[in-house]
Amino acid sequence: MGTNYDEKYYEDRAKYYKVIVGLLLLTTLTFIQPHMFLTNVTFGVQMTIGLTKAILIVLYYMHLKGETLIGWTVMFALSLVTVFFITIMTDVHHFQFKDMSYITEHGADTNMHHATEKE
Amino acid sequence: MSHEEHGHEYVPEIATSRDGKQYEVQGWQGDFYGGKLGFWLFMLTEVMMFGAMFLVLTYYFSLHHDDFIEASSDFNVFLGGTNTVVLLISALTMGLGLLKMKHGDIKGAKLMIYATMILAFAFLAIKGVEWTEDYHEGIFLGLNALQPGHPESKPLGEILFFGMYFTMTGLHGFHIIIGIGLMLWLLKRINAGKVSPHHYILYFNIALYWDLVHLVWVFVFPYFYMIGAGDISGVLNGH
Amino acid sequence: MSKSYLDAGETHCAIGHPKSVFWQWMLTVDHKRIGLMYAAVIFTFFFVAVFIGLTMRIELFAPGAQILDGDTFNQAFTLHGVIMIFLFIIPGIPAVFGNIVMPLMIGAKDVSFPRLNWFTFWLYIFGALIALSSLWTGNGFADTGWTFYAPYSLNTNTNVLTTLVAAFVLGMASILTGLNFLVTIHRLRAPGMGFFKMPLFVWGIYATAWIQLLATPVVGITLVLAILEKVFGIGIFDPAKGGDPVLFEHLFWIYSHPAVYLMILPAFGIMSEIIPTFSRREIFGYRTIALSSASIAGIGYLVWGHHLFTSGMSDLAKTIFSFLTFFVAIPTGIKFYDWVATMYKGKIVLDSPMLWALGTMVTFIIGGLTGVTIAMIGSDIHLQDTYYSVAHFHYAILGGVVFLLFAGIHYWFPLMFGKMLNEKRAKLAFWINFIGFNMLWFPMFIAGYQGMPRRYFDYLPEFQIYHQISFFGAVIFISGLLYMFYNFFDSMKNGEPSGTNPWNATTLEWHLPSSPPPLENHTKVPYVDFNPYEYKHGQPVVKFDYETMQRID
Repeated sequence: MGTNYDEKYYEDRAKYYKVIVGLLLLTTLTFIQPHMFLTNVTFGVQMTIGLTKAILIVLYYMHLKGETLIGWTVMFALSLVTVFFITIMTDVHHFQFKDMSYITEHGADTNMHHATEKE
Repeated sequence: MSHEEHGHEYVPEIATSRDGKQYEVQGWQGDFYGGKLGFWLFMLTEVMMFGAMFLVLTYYFSLHHDDFIEASSDFNVFLGGTNTVVLLISALTMGLGLLKMKHGDIKGAKLMIYATMILAFAFLAIKGVEWTEDYHEGIFLGLNALQPGHPESKPLGEILFFGMYFTMTGLHGFHIIIGIGLMLWLLKRINAGKVSPHHYILYFNIALYWDLVHLVWVFVFPYFYMIGAGDISGVLNGH
Repeated sequence: MSKSYLDAGETHCAIGHPKSVFWQWMLTVDHKRIGLMYAAVIFTFFFVAVFIGLTMRIELFAPGAQILDGDTFNQAFTLHGVIMIFLFIIPGIPAVFGNIVMPLMIGAKDVSFPRLNWFTFWLYIFGALIALSSLWTGNGFADTGWTFYAPYSLNTNTNVLTTLVAAFVLGMASILTGLNFLVTIHRLRAPGMGFFKMPLFVWGIYATAWIQLLATPVVGITLVLAILEKVFGIGIFDPAKGGDPVLFEHLFWIYSHPAVYLMILPAFGIMSEIIPTFSRREIFGYRTIALSSASIAGIGYLVWGHHLFTSGMSDLAKTIFSFLTFFVAIPTGIKFYDWVATMYKGKIVLDSPMLWALGTMVTFIIGGLTGVTIAMIGSDIHLQDTYYSVAHFHYAILGGVVFLLFAGIHYWFPLMFGKMLNEKRAKLAFWINFIGFNMLWFPMFIAGYQGMPRRYFDYLPEFQIYHQISFFGAVIFISGLLYMFYNFFDSMKNGEPSGTNPWNATTLEWHLPSSPPPLENHTKVPYVDFNPYEYKHGQPVVKFDYETMQRID
């Protein structure tokens, strides 16, 4: 087995280790955030941390940093998903039948199906 | 004609322009970049698929905000967190294995694949423990807690939350099982000499696949386990 | 005689080197043979669905029950839709001509992943078999309409589950086809052929492949969620568990609207090939047609909400979707103006491919413009789910996509089989089809406007006259179809040998060394330093020596 452990190998390996440290740090943040800071926007913070981890993984572990065409295709797909999100979430935020719908929290019908009910 | 079927024997054609310049023709054989591009495109379909599932989740989070937070607060962050770290390390081992293969250390690469597989099994085992716990609490697909109209029925938002939880972690686990199968196949191909330091597109693509599986979990974990962690009284809108 | 790709032994196989002709076809990875096999299967399904349609027309000839009861009628229109959409038109032009012609047009030896291409064909067959199996198991075929709207699809006890699984598998086949074509077009173009030297059919296939790749997974996961709902009751689209049926509609149409662009873009690509060849001049506005294909694919992702105008969507969303729907008609309009400009001062040759292309212009304009009328929210409230919608989409899909598919068959018949179609029969068949088509579908615009609802098994007597005219149109149309296919089969056997370039066209698929094409396509891959539609005084500019593929003009 002729191994060829040249400089490039150690360079690339160092990158992997650096990224894993970054990911572990961000994971620690994930665990402590709901108990420590910005607790009223936990969802937003958690998703931001997740997004940061994702960018590190995609750029370095998935080698997207050096790619042009593939990078554009990834951006295209992600923009589509974003458009779907924005459109549908806008639609549901302007839900015109909120007061009458069975499935909303302020909708008609008895309230036996809601979680935070005061007796 | 100047080409054969198998990757190593293929000799590309040459096209000549009118002023005599020669251009190598890219054939479908031996196209490393094509293999990379093709697999990335396949992964984009997975992005669209899991993206749509996150859309469904967010849609119902919007309609049933408090129920979602309430349901999330019950989750076992310790088990889920361990799984997060397990998968994280497995992404490292997978990437290191590819690196070793590129530099000729086939034995080291195979060891890394074994390590990744062990971690993958560990992930599945922990997930199995979680699901079993849920089942024993009566929270599982088809059980009364997740169907309306029973005394044990959970609120509507929680029914949807748990439904999406089992769906998404189930599909994710299914992709892990496929990943383990791919790794076994990769080992076989390495032993047959078909995957080598000169011809490693298969290893490259399987590593990409594993990174995608990890990526999905990077979002699944906080969405289900963490939105209700900590003190939730400030987050619930209250009635 | 040089060997052609149809001769025994002249093919590459996925597994081994079989000696029998049967296994050489079953295991072939050659894009030309795979395209032919797709053609054979999809047209079989097409005729099955046509006859289901005829059965519905017979039933609807008069009010009340004639030969079907209400439940069976629901299954009939569902089956008609599922076959036509998932088994026929979505594979459609990409599976047949994308496979056979596209690699030839870019000077490639095959697609980027030939074994994947083989696998994808059999995946499609597998999905088709699953769908058809539901006819004979359980409570019979689904009765929900091809759109499977929740909550009815979740609660009905007909074989919705099987059809959902089938649609998922068929979707996978569509995705893999798109993936294969995208990599092929990016990687295997002949040296010198930049994106703006590709024929416009390739642009059409390229734009389509992006839709196949990115839109299909969304409906794939929607079907999976519906399957999980039926099996495990996860509550996703069921209001009784807090789910929202409108979400199902959103997710379903996020795919199904781009799907219609998936259908029409390759068809427009065929139009862009036929018009310059039969006008004997360069296409007008090459770049705008190419970019309009890309923009239709892009903007087409943003308009799905116009299928939800009556669903309870918010007014804000409705307004945005209406605006974008108007907007997406613009690139299509640009194409039509470019085609007409190409014909202006050209030497029009009215052979059968051109007849079909021109006929399609008439029918698609009607289909497209009526679509714009229902893009207006106000009028859509009245016309949604009436025969007006049904007429609109049949004019656009049948009179647009399928007519151009037929045009493509007439155009590329000599390429596929080395024989010419009998022109007299072909032209007569066109006219029978054209007249029958319009008689079948046009009355439905009027019936729909007057209130005739779609998918209805029974109706008020005031609508009967429209159904009767449609029925006679259907009979004429189907006769035309049968006559046309008879011509195809007869010409395959007895047609005049065509030579390699009977239409004297310019694109690379007509520059093969022999007819039908040899297994390895071009003798040598040419260097492309020319545009795809270079004509001078009605004659092609570029000429090749077919042994060396060097230009000799």
